[in-house]
Amino acid sequence: MTQDVIKVTINNKDIQVPKGARLIEVCRDSGFDIPSFCYYSDLALQASCRMCLVRIEKMPKLQTSCTITCTDGMVVTTQSEEIEKAQRAMVEFLLANHPLDCPVCDRGGECELQEMAFDWGGLEERFTEKKNYYAERYLSPMVANDPQRCILCKRCTRVCDEWMGEDAIEAGGRGANTVIGTYGGWLDCSQCGNCIEVCPTGTLLDATYRHQARPWELAQTVSTCTYCSDGCQMSLGARGGELMRVVARDRYVNGLNGEFLCIKGRFGHPFVNHEARIRTPMIRYKKGGKLIPATWDDAIRHVASKLDSIANKHGRNSIGIVGSPRLTNEALYLLKKFATDLIGTDNYAVTDSVNLTPFFANLGAPLATHRDIRYAKTIVLIGGEPEELQPLTGKQIRQAVRNGGARLIIFNSVPIRLREQASQFIHIRPGAEEAAVLALAGGATDSLVSRKMGIETAELEKVRGTINETEGDLIIMFDGSLSAAAQSALAQLSYLLRADNRRVLFHPLPLYNNSIGALDMGMTNGAIDVTQMLDAAGRGIRAVCVAGSFLPEQLRGREESLAKLDFLMVQELFETDTTSFADVVLPAASFAEIDGTFTNNDGFVQRVRQSIPPVNQSKADWMITDQLARELGVEFGFGMSASAVFNEIAMQVPGYAGLRYPLLKDESKPVQVKHDIAVQRDISNELETVRTAVEQMDESPEKHNDTPDVGHELFKIRTLTDKVAQFHLLAAGNPRPESLNVSPLYQITLSDDLRAEAVVAGD
Amino acid sequence: MSIITDVIQSTKAIIQGMGVTLSYIPKRKWTVQYPEEPVTVQPRYRGQHLLHVDENGKEKCVACFLCAAACPSECIYIIAKDDPRSPAERTGVDERFAEVYNIDYGRCIFCGYCVEACPKDAITHGYNFELSVYNRADLLKTKTDLLITTQLQSKNYRVAFSDEDVDSEYKEV
Ligand code: SF4
Ligand code: SF4
Ligand code: SF4
Ligand code: FES
Repeated sequence: MTQDVIKVTINNKDIQVPKGARLIEVCRDSGFDIPSFCYYSDLALQASCRMCLVRIEKMPKLQTSCTITCTDGMVVTTQSEEIEKAQRAMVEFLLANHPLDCPVCDRGGECELQEMAFDWGGLEERFTEKKNYYAERYLSPMVANDPQRCILCKRCTRVCDEWMGEDAIEAGGRGANTVIGTYGGWLDCSQCGNCIEVCPTGTLLDATYRHQARPWELAQTVSTCTYCSDGCQMSLGARGGELMRVVARDRYVNGLNGEFLCIKGRFGHPFVNHEARIRTPMIRYKKGGKLIPATWDDAIRHVASKLDSIANKHGRNSIGIVGSPRLTNEALYLLKKFATDLIGTDNYAVTDSVNLTPFFANLGAPLATHRDIRYAKTIVLIGGEPEELQPLTGKQIRQAVRNGGARLIIFNSVPIRLREQASQFIHIRPGAEEAAVLALAGGATDSLVSRKMGIETAELEKVRGTINETEGDLIIMFDGSLSAAAQSALAQLSYLLRADNRRVLFHPLPLYNNSIGALDMGMTNGAIDVTQMLDAAGRGIRAVCVAGSFLPEQLRGREESLAKLDFLMVQELFETDTTSFADVVLPAASFAEIDGTFTNNDGFVQRVRQSIPPVNQSKADWMITDQLARELGVEFGFGMSASAVFNEIAMQVPGYAGLRYPLLKDESKPVQVKHDIAVQRDISNELETVRTAVEQMDESPEKHNDTPDVGHELFKIRTLTDKVAQFHLLAAGNPRPESLNVSPLYQITLSDDLRAEAVVAGD
Repeated sequence: MSIITDVIQSTKAIIQGMGVTLSYIPKRKWTVQYPEEPVTVQPRYRGQHLLHVDENGKEKCVACFLCAAACPSECIYIIAKDDPRSPAERTGVDERFAEVYNIDYGRCIFCGYCVEACPKDAITHGYNFELSVYNRADLLKTKTDLLITTQLQSKNYRVAFSDEDVDSEYKEV
């Protein structure tokens, strides 16, 4: 596609720019620095700070370059006495009501206002009038606020509205008395903290890291989030072996998420240094006895001898190896290798709730990246609730619709919040997601499908119409509710729906940070899955080694299974339901303490970097497997190097061929795994299976008519979020404390009642 | 030369030398009988640091870490904390205060950069110079050792008045 090119002259330098380029970006790209506060690329324009002034010939006054679109022949001056005078005056005005309390302010040291005042501010304040005074306050358990420091750039209100669709924070009052505030004084939102991130001043602050450290004291390490499958890039700030905070400020990290993080990524990290972390390896010498601390050598020796004797007595297949989709690719790869090459068992599995193997086996088009989503033309979302479970995807969808004009089609049994952005929301019966695939693939008559989904046939006509009109990217997203046959059929839809000017991309919505990696590493290819393994406990399966824990939903109804095992080894961070049955518990290191990679739902392989030394006596999961292998007489030969493991992954796993850690160094240019693209094939068998299933579908279930509360998934108390006191407040309904000036944590005691209200679900 | 001249010359030299010696006896003495007598230190002497409190007894330090950032020998260690209590109950002047404030005198070079960096006038150099200890670990002084309200002051110094000329020894010679 050729783009019209026009010529602008900036400071006597001729520059060719694409038509429609924004002046401020053009100036910056050509090396002319323009100060700005309110301009934020990818947000609506504001033009309130007036720092970005430039002189444009033939225009009467100085112009704000952030709002100017370049036109042909434009002549611009960015530096002159006149401009500098105006900019200095602006800073002076901005500081007129500012308390200048940098020593107490948590933003001090990484504050854009501080930097700007350094360059453009005066030495003396000329205003001697009394400043507006507002007390510091809390807007929620996560967000602290000092209204005096605000420069009213409204970045916060814009991200809240455009990225999050919450509109929870707004400017109120007039003139010099304008303050940023909330409706009713208390923030009832998804608590993503993105307003904190984009605020150029110390007005909105992270309440969980309040007055703890200063930014220059923190060692910043770029890493990948350990919660959902979006794989946001973040900067871990650590001091003295303690993880103090997580941010995504563009001065430290420039990943696929920009400055976006959700509540879990930003505030969910205190589990890392939590006192409940398992401290040492522990052995339960007698069933029903107590776990007794042991040395690493003793514990590993104990595990090895048990595995040896059980394999000798009951055969190799009596040993089950289980990994968690939260582990790194390195750990999962080694677990798989340990299971197949060393133990020689077919029984290995991941504790994921969804298995996307059929989808990837039939994958007919590449995975959509988050950037693709942002610029997609049509998005079809089947099931799922991205704004709660994959928040970055949720934000990208919202922006695609709001800022990019994309059309969004949602098939969901629940009126999720994203439906406000949808051009078509198809409210289907619970469990009828399969029917949507069937309809898109044309595997059954519209009347059958729509009857089962409980909708009008016209709705399906409309969907087809929208898809047929789409020029550009069509992205199909789906969550784990689809059956294997439906997944396979869906993966082939790209061949049916593509056209000359239409590209079809897929975006699966698995739940965990490395669900896709677990699949790539082959951990999902075992003979049985986790629930089957649990059911076979005590019969076919005698010993199980778990890295991580079984999910509560997997253990539900199978509480007895773990007790039936002859031997259970668990690598965990915390004591869980699974460890309570374990014969050996080994302390594993969290994501902040290890090197490795995660593969996200874009298929991006992204680095996890060590920020702090392993807490207590914990070790990286892959090192534990490595040590165990050594004890069993096999030397994998990786030494202490995660990159050596990754090199072997690059040799063994086709999609990762040629990858090396140095190639993954730059988080702003993530590398996509080359998943095999399957050729088009006949999917009538799968469609037949799906159709039979749909035909037998019950037509009686009532549709869910209530939009779920914000945070019903985000605030859920699970093993990791349980360690963050603020999550308990949120899960208990985010009660408003008596005084807003003191942290709610000091005012509301986390009593048992309150904790009980936040259902502990385990992870 | 005869032996007599020798004797006369030496006697003269001895008398001359003793004359100088004896002439100093009535003059002012510079030797201080430390530790029996206190030494006089300059008003701007840089001794052990003091952490100050305001008129209400609140610690002035807000744990901004600027001293630690300015310190060339990196001997200041601070842990900041949030103090949610009301202004009257607080430890410090603001809701941010230093929960831990350590200076390692094994490393401090008494350059005074920390004092210069402090935006709250919370840290200054005191006059305490008796810092020798038997155990090197004791050179690490904690907040209690540094706070003006709790620092143990040596009795063995006095601060010169601002117009007092403590340096004249060197000027005279
Ligand atoms: S709170 Fe921060 S982001 Fe919001 S308007 Fe004020 S300065 Fe801008
Ligand atoms: S959206 Fe997902 S990856 Fe991003 S911060 Fe939240 S949980 Fe982490
Ligand atoms: S006097 Fe100098 S060396 Fe000593 S603490 Fe202060 S800045 Fe550091
Ligand atoms: S950046 Fe242009 S007016 Fe603020």
